[in-house]
Amino acid sequence: MIKVSNLYHSYSKDEHYAVKDVSFEVKEGEIFGFLGPSGAGKSTTQNIMTGLLQLQKGTVTVAGYDVKTISNKMFNQIGMSFEESNVYSKLSAKENLEFYRKLFDVETREPMELLRMVGLHDKADIRAGEFSKGMKHRLTFARSMINNPTLWFLDEPTTGLDPAIASEIKGIIREQNKKGVTIFLTTHNMYIADELCDRVAFIVDGEILLIDSPRNLKLQYGDKLVEVEYIKDGEIVKESFSTIQKDDLAKLQEVIGTYEIQTMHTKEATLEEIFIKVTGRELV
Amino acid sequence: MLKKSWIIFMRDFKVNLRDFLALYLLLIPLIFALGINLLAPSINDTTINLGMIAGENSDQAAYFSQYAKVEVFSNQEDLDARIMRRDDFFGIVAEGGEYYVLKQGNENEGVVDYAKVLLTFYEQDVQLEETNAEIFDLGRTVPPMKKLLVNGGILFISVLGGMMITFNIVEEKVDRTIRAILLTPISRRGFIVGKSMMGVFLTLYGTIAMILITGFGNVNLLQLLTVVLLASIISILVGFIQGVRNDDVINAAANLKLLFLPLVGAIAGAELLSDKWQILLYWIPFYWAYKGNDAVLTQTATWPQIGLYAGIILAISVAVYFLLAPEIKEGLE
Repeated sequence: MIKVSNLYHSYSKDEHYAVKDVSFEVKEGEIFGFLGPSGAGKSTTQNIMTGLLQLQKGTVTVAGYDVKTISNKMFNQIGMSFEESNVYSKLSAKENLEFYRKLFDVETREPMELLRMVGLHDKADIRAGEFSKGMKHRLTFARSMINNPTLWFLDEPTTGLDPAIASEIKGIIREQNKKGVTIFLTTHNMYIADELCDRVAFIVDGEILLIDSPRNLKLQYGDKLVEVEYIKDGEIVKESFSTIQKDDLAKLQEVIGTYEIQTMHTKEATLEEIFIKVTGRELV
Repeated sequence: MLKKSWIIFMRDFKVNLRDFLALYLLLIPLIFALGINLLAPSINDTTINLGMIAGENSDQAAYFSQYAKVEVFSNQEDLDARIMRRDDFFGIVAEGGEYYVLKQGNENEGVVDYAKVLLTFYEQDVQLEETNAEIFDLGRTVPPMKKLLVNGGILFISVLGGMMITFNIVEEKVDRTIRAILLTPISRRGFIVGKSMMGVFLTLYGTIAMILITGFGNVNLLQLLTVVLLASIISILVGFIQGVRNDDVINAAANLKLLFLPLVGAIAGAELLSDKWQILLYWIPFYWAYKGNDAVLTQTATWPQIGLYAGIILAISVAVYFLLAPEIKEGLE
C-alpha cells in the first residue's frame, strides 16, 4: 500500500536533511506505527507521502500512485487525521462534514453516522468554534473517515483526549482495520503504538533505525523474567525468576505450588524502554 | 474542477453571511450607491419640483407639468409639510386672485429663479414652440460629479472583492484548514479559483447594484463588466497575497488599504492632470479601468476602445500575476 525508497528531504535544499535515506513498506491491511520524538522526521515523511510536501529525492508510491506525479484521484483513497485539529470554526460540526464530503468523487459516509461514532451527534448543529479542544480533535478524526479511505493516516489520534474517548477512538481504529483499511500511525505515544500496531518503525534524526513488530521487539529486547509477589509466613515476598534458567523455573513452580500468589507477571520491556535502548533517546 | 470550485465559493458565501465584517463588505455597494443618490443630483431629475393645492387651477398645473414635476396636495398643511423636507420644492399658492412662490428659504437661488420664471411664463402664456433658441450640446448627458462617484465606487467595490478574498484566506489559515483541503481531490488551481469567486461575485453584484441604484441601468453592461472584471484581477491577486502574508484579519485589511492609494491616485490624476502628465498613470490598471468605465457611463464607449483598455489592464495584471504567483502558491501550501 505504501512503498518508500531512499527518501531524502531538505527544507534548506542543501545537505542538511530532515529525512535521510528512509525506506520502508506498509502492506495492505496493516497498522504501521511511525514512532519517534519531535523533530525526528515523522511529519516530513508523512507530508511527502500525502503530497503536502514536494518529493525531492527518492521514490514514494502511495495507494498505487507515484507521488512524484501526484494525481488528485489519490485523495479519494486516503484519509488524514491531523494532530492539530483543523475544522472550520464558523461552520457547525455537521456542516463541516457536509462540506468536505462534496469535495470527494467517491461514495462518502453520512455525517451523522460519523458524528455518532465519535460521540458528537448531539452537538451536530453547534459551530465548531464553540467546541473544546478534544471535541475539535474528534471532529477532525471523524472527517478523516468521510471518504471511506483505504489508506488512513493518523497523526497522534488520541492526543488530548480523555481516557474513555481515547479508548473509543482506538476501538474505531481497530474496527476500520478489521474492514481492511491500511493505517499509517504517526505517534510518540508508545502505548497506543504497542496496542494497535502490527509493525513499528523507530525514526530518529531523519533516519529509520529499526522496523519490527512490537512482539518481536519485546522478545528481542525484553528481560526474560517473571516477577512474583506471594505471601509467606504472613508477609508479602517479592521475587524475580528467570524463564530460561532451569533452577529458577523449578523455584517458580515450587512457589506457585506452595504459597498464595498475590501478583505475577512477565517482565517485558515496554516499547518506550526498547526505543530508548535502541536509539539512546527519549521520546519527548 | 469548476464544480468543486463552486463548492468552495458556496462555503465562503455561507460563512461570509455569518461574519459581521464580511456582511458589511457585502452591503457596502448598496450603501455607497444610496449615498451617491442622496449626495449627488440624480441623472434623471434635472427639473424642479412644484406643489399646488387640488382644485385651484388645473390649467396651471397642466402647464407646469410640461417643465416641472408637479405634485397636488389636498390642503395647505400638506403642501407646507412637503416644502419643509430637505430637497428643493416650491409651492405655487393662490392669494387674492394671484399666485406666489412659497419656498423653505434655503433653496438654490437659480432654482428659485426658475420657479419664478415658470410662473411668469404661465401668466404671459408663453409656449415652448415660440422660442427661437437653437440648442447644441457638448455630449455630456449625465452629471459629471455623479458619474465620477459611480465610476470610483465601482472600482472601490472591486478592491472590496480583494478584501473579501483576504478575509476568507485568513480564516482558512486561522482554522488551519488549507492542509485538509489539499488532501481532497480538489486541485490547487481549483481551490484558488474557488477562493477567487467571492471577490468576483462581490465585484459583479456590487457593480450591477451600483449602476441600477444610481440610475445608470441603460449603459452597455457587457462593456462595463469587461472592464470591471479585468480590473478586479489586480484586487484578487493582492487579496490573495495579503491573505497568505497575514494571520490576522485586521492587519490584512490594513495592508490591503494600500491598494486604495493607486485607485484614488488614478482617479484624481485622470480628472486633474493635463494630458501630457497622464502618462505617469499608465502603469496603474485602475487608470485604464476608470477611463473605460467613464466612456461606458457616458455611453460613448466603442468596442475597439474598450478592447484597448481591457488589453492594457490584462497585460498589467498578467505581469503582476507572474510576480506574485510563486508567493501565493507557496503560501497556500
